[in-house]
Amino acid sequence: MSASVKAQASVRTLVMEDLRLAWQLTRGSDRREWLRVLLTAVGAALATGFGLAALGIGAVRGNVEFPYLNGLLDEPGVRNGVVAALLLLLVPVLGFLAQCARIGAVHRDRRLASLRLVGATAPQVRRIAALEAGLACLLGSAVAAAVSVPSLLFLWDRPPLWLWAAFAGATLVVPVVAALVSVLALRRVVASPLGWVRRVRPERGASALLTLGAPTLMVGAAAALVLMGGEELSYTAFPLAVLGAVTLTAVGSVAVSGGTAKLMGRWLAARTDNPAVLIAAERLRTDPWAAARTHAAVLLVTVVGVSFLGIRQMLLDDLNGPGRRVDDMAFYTTGINLTGAAVLVALTITLSGLAVGAAESLATRRHGLAAQAAAGVPQAVLGRALLLETALPLAPAMLLAGLGGTAVYLAYGIVAQVSVPLLLPLLFPAMVYASCLLAAATALPLLRRVVQPGELRYA
Amino acid sequence: MSHEVPLLTARALAKTHGRTKALRDATIELRAGEILAVTGTSGSGKSTLLHCLAGIVRPDEGSVVYAGQRLDQLPDKRLSELRRTEFGVVFQFGQLIPELTAIDNVALPLLLAGVGRAEAHKRAGAWMERFGVRGQEEQRPGEMSGGQAQRVSMARALVTGPKIVFADEPTGALDSLASEQVMAAMVHTAREAGIAVLLITHDHQVAAYADREVRLRDGAIEDSVDFEVAQ
Amino acid sequence: MSTRHILLGLLAGGPSHGYDLKRRHDERFPQARPLAYGQVYTTLQRLVRDGLAEIEGTDSAGGPERTRYRSTDEGARELAKWTGEITPPAPFVTNEIFAKVVCAILASTDPAGYLRAQRAAHMERMRQLTAVKTATDADLATVLSADYALSHLDADLRWMTTTAARLTTLTAEVDAA
Repeated sequence: MSASVKAQASVRTLVMEDLRLAWQLTRGSDRREWLRVLLTAVGAALATGFGLAALGIGAVRGNVEFPYLNGLLDEPGVRNGVVAALLLLLVPVLGFLAQCARIGAVHRDRRLASLRLVGATAPQVRRIAALEAGLACLLGSAVAAAVSVPSLLFLWDRPPLWLWAAFAGATLVVPVVAALVSVLALRRVVASPLGWVRRVRPERGASALLTLGAPTLMVGAAAALVLMGGEELSYTAFPLAVLGAVTLTAVGSVAVSGGTAKLMGRWLAARTDNPAVLIAAERLRTDPWAAARTHAAVLLVTVVGVSFLGIRQMLLDDLNGPGRRVDDMAFYTTGINLTGAAVLVALTITLSGLAVGAAESLATRRHGLAAQAAAGVPQAVLGRALLLETALPLAPAMLLAGLGGTAVYLAYGIVAQVSVPLLLPLLFPAMVYASCLLAAATALPLLRRVVQPGELRYA
Repeated sequence: MSHEVPLLTARALAKTHGRTKALRDATIELRAGEILAVTGTSGSGKSTLLHCLAGIVRPDEGSVVYAGQRLDQLPDKRLSELRRTEFGVVFQFGQLIPELTAIDNVALPLLLAGVGRAEAHKRAGAWMERFGVRGQEEQRPGEMSGGQAQRVSMARALVTGPKIVFADEPTGALDSLASEQVMAAMVHTAREAGIAVLLITHDHQVAAYADREVRLRDGAIEDSVDFEVAQ
Repeated sequence: MSTRHILLGLLAGGPSHGYDLKRRHDERFPQARPLAYGQVYTTLQRLVRDGLAEIEGTDSAGGPERTRYRSTDEGARELAKWTGEITPPAPFVTNEIFAKVVCAILASTDPAGYLRAQRAAHMERMRQLTAVKTATDADLATVLSADYALSHLDADLRWMTTTAARLTTLTAEVDAA
């Protein structure tokens, strides 16, 4: 017994020691580390919040009288749809979290590698990295839980006991997963004390597809289970098909985004006379999957958004049409508006991720950019290159995502035998495209700061 | 070659970074076609002096005059244009865009000036030839040795036909043989083309390539040696 | 430096007479002090005396009579031994500059001024050597011997720079002693 107590104590001191080290390192580093912690916490809070809401709604059994949202949550079938939507919202949130992890990544990798260099063991560095990521996420999850629990008590007199257990579990899942992912991502840094200094980019194609595919499939499977659990199978076949189409189109769009980035980069780099286009094209050619990774969530949201807008209009036309008496119009409009709100939330999260990614890309390259500016390359050219890096590969992928979304709602239109709208749903990709450019443009003020001669001093 | 005409004149420069005085009362002159070495220990203000002279930063006090223009008063846009056309800049590292091939890196200032790609490549190729890096055109900076990358950087600095090249520790990251080859190529080309070079270095062997040496200490000129007068 | 061994080395290339040896020496070691003809002559005589070289014959083709020397087997062995021996890294460097600085402190003259002037002279010599080695017609032997001299002058200069920065402490130390 005494041996196990001792072992426990030593484990505790080890963890405390690492915690202290992690804290000191974070405290001593620059503002971007804090920005990462903050944004990661926000992402974790969103993920936990959506998860808890899905759990809460999913826990309700049978027909109930719910005083809010015009009875939308009263019936089990509709509730399942809402749960699926909430789970789908996790996709952009995960994308956002992935972007946040990249802030200051170079800096952190170097820091952890130098820890190895001064003699920290690989498990120790892994623990520190896991603690850093896990604690930031725990902060966000705790905030989300702190908001969700009183809300649940307010809305539901006696929630079942298992729901509390599920809440606690969901709150812990995000930090634990974040810790595991960061340990996985840092395997190269941890392996070598010299870190990942001279970077030859590994082939990213397969891993990019996997990182996109895995969460999509996970969330998709979860949503499918919820849907199938509710009603008889024939009723669930259509939503499942939609879900499948959405996923496939998104994966296809990412593949197209990466592929065209490569092709377009090569083609433009060989021909252009314009320096901004040349810089952007060569960057795309060198690392086409970086763009694809960043744009994955954008494309998914576009597919969902276009399908939603098309279906929404057809549904409204149908409900308002002649020979149709709908008693509870508010029930439908609330549902539609709620879905619309979910799409907008997803879009907002995704665009934030894009803006974070653009800023991070600038910060990583600040020494080189400062040198370019010092050598007389105008800021306008560097800024245009930055925007083109987003604009060029996104255009064809956006087109495909728009077409995919259109196919989804056309299918619905044919099944439901109603006239098919074209204008509004097709405007959506254009709007998303413009928003993406705006999101990337938010990094431009940072460019002005980055090209200061002070940056010339650092590697 | 006449060394009498001052091409660039800086008077009583002062510059403070936070609480450190990087420069105080530095007065310096660069004559047309000369190679001037600025030496001094680390932190003596060498780089800050170069930044002020090349119009990369504005001094807190004092004036910098190039071809009758006060650089410390020109707008940023004009300074940027000047650095692109009349000046060339070479740093220890980092001035090449990692994603661009060597020839595109060299051609970039010409593209910025609106020269077509084919013509820009032709001229860039000729400069790469002069610096002995012909054959590396399609390589990216990460695929070249440090010495090759610095020679490509010099080709890029000279491709627009500048009047002055500002070189900040151009051989700082190189071994002595590569350093010698880079310096020989730069000095040879600059003398041939009549380009003035302001060379920042803490290496005496590199400074020995210059016609004149100015030594900085704690942000002020400690000593100025005109080699030809000393001779 | 051993003139004996250098002459043996030059003779290893084939028999030669005194004037020719001097010329080849000065060509091959451009930054070294030129050999005096008298020194070549006496050294050759000593080599013959020690059995390391021997007289091969005399030429007098249209000029004064010249004695041609060649290396013996013994000479070849001696040369091989010498080229294989390490040169001891000199433990006692005669450092005139340091001596002058200390004396300047003792005599209360201007050591800092002396160091500045010495520095300028060193830099000027380095610049000349750099000009020699970067000349378009410089061969590799010239470049390498210039490099040798440049590296040594560079070492002196670095020493002078650190000494100049620590003159105050040195002055206190010398004056206290």
